[in-house]
Amino acid sequence: MKRQVPLALCFLFGIVMILTQFSPHSYSQGVYREVINWNLIINPFALILAVATLIQTHMTRIQRRTEHWQYSLVVFLGMAVMVLIGIPLGPQNSYVEWLYNNLQVPMDATMFSLLAFFIASAAYRAFRARTFEATLLLITALIVMMGNVPVGDLIWNSVLSWLPMEDGASKVRQWILDIPNLASRRGIILGVSLGVISQSIRIILGIERSYLGGGD
Amino acid sequence: MEVLGIWIAAFLTLCIFSFLYRDNPFYRFAEHLFIGLSVGYSIVVTIHQGFIPLAWEPLSEGVNALQSELTSEGTPETKEALSGLFKIIPIGIGLLFFARLSPRHTWLIRYPIAILIGFTAGAAIPNVLQASIFEQTYGTLTPFAAMHAGSLSTGDIVGAILITIGLICTLVYFFFSVEHQGPVGWLSKVGIAFLMIGFGAAFGNTVMGRVALLIHRVGFLINDWLGSIF
Repeated sequence: MKRQVPLALCFLFGIVMILTQFSPHSYSQGVYREVINWNLIINPFALILAVATLIQTHMTRIQRRTEHWQYSLVVFLGMAVMVLIGIPLGPQNSYVEWLYNNLQVPMDATMFSLLAFFIASAAYRAFRARTFEATLLLITALIVMMGNVPVGDLIWNSVLSWLPMEDGASKVRQWILDIPNLASRRGIILGVSLGVISQSIRIILGIERSYLGGGD
Repeated sequence: MEVLGIWIAAFLTLCIFSFLYRDNPFYRFAEHLFIGLSVGYSIVVTIHQGFIPLAWEPLSEGVNALQSELTSEGTPETKEALSGLFKIIPIGIGLLFFARLSPRHTWLIRYPIAILIGFTAGAAIPNVLQASIFEQTYGTLTPFAAMHAGSLSTGDIVGAILITIGLICTLVYFFFSVEHQGPVGWLSKVGIAFLMIGFGAAFGNTVMGRVALLIHRVGFLINDWLGSIF
């Protein structure tokens, strides 16, 4: 009951999803849509549980007065403002959009832009050209970066003006993206896909059961 | 309202940029506010675009239709709306997630997890087969048909051959069932070279993406925020 029924449900939903996608019959397509709707209905509950866990974690921080506990109140403030305005009014409401555009979007973009600095310092440490592979990676990254901005072509035209190719930085960048980059990406995609398929088969057949957790 | 928005956005932008100096209360404030707002927005979107249209509304219509049927005012529309009552099943399964909060009934959480995992695994097999295996193989082999028809330039022919060699060598690198020695070892080394070029290209694009965001934020501070003052 505690393990066999979940395994059976996993098998049933897995098989239904595979079979309905291969069958064009209207009844089969109806089942397919209904199962997708079920998934979309069940998913929000997982989000609510995750939010409950987040609230629990921050409540514990506040109760125990751990270091920087005051910032947990800021988490609650942000969440409460968005939920109290957003749930009754909906995400299309102008107040919710104002909060989204003037608070969330700027912070999101700034957080990611901050990575420009850290990625540069990480690159300095990681890309010291010690081996042939590291050198290849470094040179490719440099060409792709220089080919992305107009100054790259300007440098190419000034320094490598004797070459019979104008605006070479952007052209070489495009060639790298279109040929060797595509080849390696396809290799990775094929490898990952075969892994996904084999793992999915193991899950559906009940060979892989780690998602059930421990206990009986 | 617009000016207030610009000032708040500028303040939060500067709060986050202050981390470049070192960790400080302004950064921590913005970081925690960001977490709270993001979680809140996710809840709002999930409820309004997922739960309400897919579960709540059909269920409400189903309950209303049931009342109409019981009072003998049923119509073909109400009979159809009765199917909305079945939404109680996924709602009930979803509610089992909260069994996690009760130590005695924690095992019940396996039911919704098993359904979601089974669904995801089942959906992945045909989709991955089609999009990632058939389409990628098709894309690799198609240029050879065009080559046979004589409609490819020399550059495109070299490109198609290089892509195929790179793909095979990359796959050989990931093939661990044989020892990477001799010809397999050489193919594997070529595969590593292609992979390094791929990683370098991905790194270069990521850096440029982040720099573009940085330029955008600095542009916002100079043009929108300072522009509103001076």
